[in-house]
Amino acid sequence: MTALLSLALKQLLRHRLRTALTVLGVASGMFLFTSVETLQSSLGAATEETAADTTLVVYRENRFCPATSRLPEHYQDEIRRMPGVREVIPIQIIVNNCGASLDVITFRGVPEGMLRKFAPEIEIIAGDDAEWTRRDDGALLGEQFAKRRGLKPGDKFDAVGITVHVAGIIRSPFAQDNNVAYVKLPFLQQASRTGLGVVTQFNVRVHRSADLKPVAAAIDARFKSDQLPTNTKPEKAFFAETAGQLIELIGFTRWLGLGAVIAVVALVANAILLMVRSRVKENAVLRTLGYPARAIMFLVVSEGGLLGLAGGVFGAGLAWGFLRWQSFTMGSEGHTLAILPEISTAIFASVAALVLGVIASIHPALVAIRQPIVKSLRS
Amino acid sequence: MISCKSISKSYRKGANVVTPLENLNLEVPRGEFLALMGPSGSGKTTLLNLISGIDTPSSGTLVIDGQNIADFSRKQLTKWRSQKVGYIFQLYHLIPVLTAFENVELPLLITSLSRAERRAKVEEALDLVGLMDRSHHTPAELSGGQEQRVAIARALVADPPLLVADEPTGDLDRESANSILSLLQSLSGECGKTIVMVTHDARAAAAAHRTLHLEKGVLLSEDPNLARA
Repeated sequence: MTALLSLALKQLLRHRLRTALTVLGVASGMFLFTSVETLQSSLGAATEETAADTTLVVYRENRFCPATSRLPEHYQDEIRRMPGVREVIPIQIIVNNCGASLDVITFRGVPEGMLRKFAPEIEIIAGDDAEWTRRDDGALLGEQFAKRRGLKPGDKFDAVGITVHVAGIIRSPFAQDNNVAYVKLPFLQQASRTGLGVVTQFNVRVHRSADLKPVAAAIDARFKSDQLPTNTKPEKAFFAETAGQLIELIGFTRWLGLGAVIAVVALVANAILLMVRSRVKENAVLRTLGYPARAIMFLVVSEGGLLGLAGGVFGAGLAWGFLRWQSFTMGSEGHTLAILPEISTAIFASVAALVLGVIASIHPALVAIRQPIVKSLRS
Repeated sequence: MISCKSISKSYRKGANVVTPLENLNLEVPRGEFLALMGPSGSGKTTLLNLISGIDTPSSGTLVIDGQNIADFSRKQLTKWRSQKVGYIFQLYHLIPVLTAFENVELPLLITSLSRAERRAKVEEALDLVGLMDRSHHTPAELSGGQEQRVAIARALVADPPLLVADEPTGDLDRESANSILSLLQSLSGECGKTIVMVTHDARAAAAAHRTLHLEKGVLLSEDPNLARA
């Protein structure tokens, strides 16, 4: 088997142009496939609730966008006292675009000293806490946000009419935190002319995932008759609800992924079929030498599989590197969807390309073994 | 070594039935170098294909090395070919992207031999045909005579008792042809290989021990005077 695999590899390496063109074609398809899979998995991670989720978001009822959600800051004291609640943080959000967009700038205003308490998992990877504490206009930028904009500690940054000083860069295991700029709540309230004492939302951490529904119901019930009633849901449920356009758009990309798969199969099948047709005599010679049908099939299928694998590794690796480098983020109504490629997606795409290459080679392999030897030698 | 009894081969070509070989009887003892001559369409290549097991007779028995290969299944024939026959083509049919070494190694890739064992056998075969110094050259870098020597080494490498050659000198100049014929003679004489060679060339046939003439699928005559060049 190893010797035959080595023979198939030699055939590929020594037909360089044909191999390079086919690998390039497969790579293009698998680049698209990996990108689509990354979109799907990023959307899944952002919208599918898991047992580890413990965050609720409290908005004003019937708000369109975070900018139109206004809640009094003092709600936090009552929410904090409710059973099941671990921590509450009032947040002011300012976004540059409330619709679905690829370039969303989100400022999150949080009370001084509460950010680390609310999100202890946040790690400062550049700059320092002292600078953020010292300056009123200090901002802690999420890693992806800073990377996308090319910002570093000490830089000034202006957006949506708000100018901030970059105090540090943060990294969080939660994609949302890596795509926003954290500033102090009073600064944002004043800079955005919302006014002190008014916030967009409360983020509520509950003790256990099972507490999410009862706590959400309790919060909405408590403020139902208030002047500003609330709408409370798990963070991911809000995203799934508000990002309808994104979900529809990303749902459509499934067809692109399917198209990429079909293109890869057709390309490899065509390349292998042409190869088989151009090597009718070679295969007949091998069969004259005593190569059994299964060995000829193995050779043909190996070439298809290797072409698929090479194209898959190249295309998926390129997509993985490109998406990592570009740090794309899609946003809707203040929620951001970070398009973060996972290495598992690239591996899956490479294996898929190998399998597609093998499948695409089966018909050409059957063609290779069905021709009578004598007729093939005369052709 | 080879015993053909009442061998016939016929096939359909459109509405007609073509019979390139009819009721042919032939005995070839072990170690003989036999030349088959005849005009185009006389059935000599068909006979060669039957003897080499790449085609099957329509009727009759074809016993080679004690086995009636006419009764073999396709799978059995494939295995038998890999062990018993070495085929030498007129146009060499080497794989152009492989080196001489790799071309000769081809029959051994489907055996259970280790890489080192394969290497030793390939080097031995290339040495026998005098091409050790050309082992890393591709067919495009070899002359016609050298290509045919590589093809002979490929036919020999698995050490089959029977070699069949379809006009092995047909595409070569006289000097190269003589050299190939001398090689075949020594393979028959010194290595004990049974060789069946199809040729149009009387000078090539003269290198064989015996020459048979075929016409319209029938064995016409045996001319021992042409033998033993």
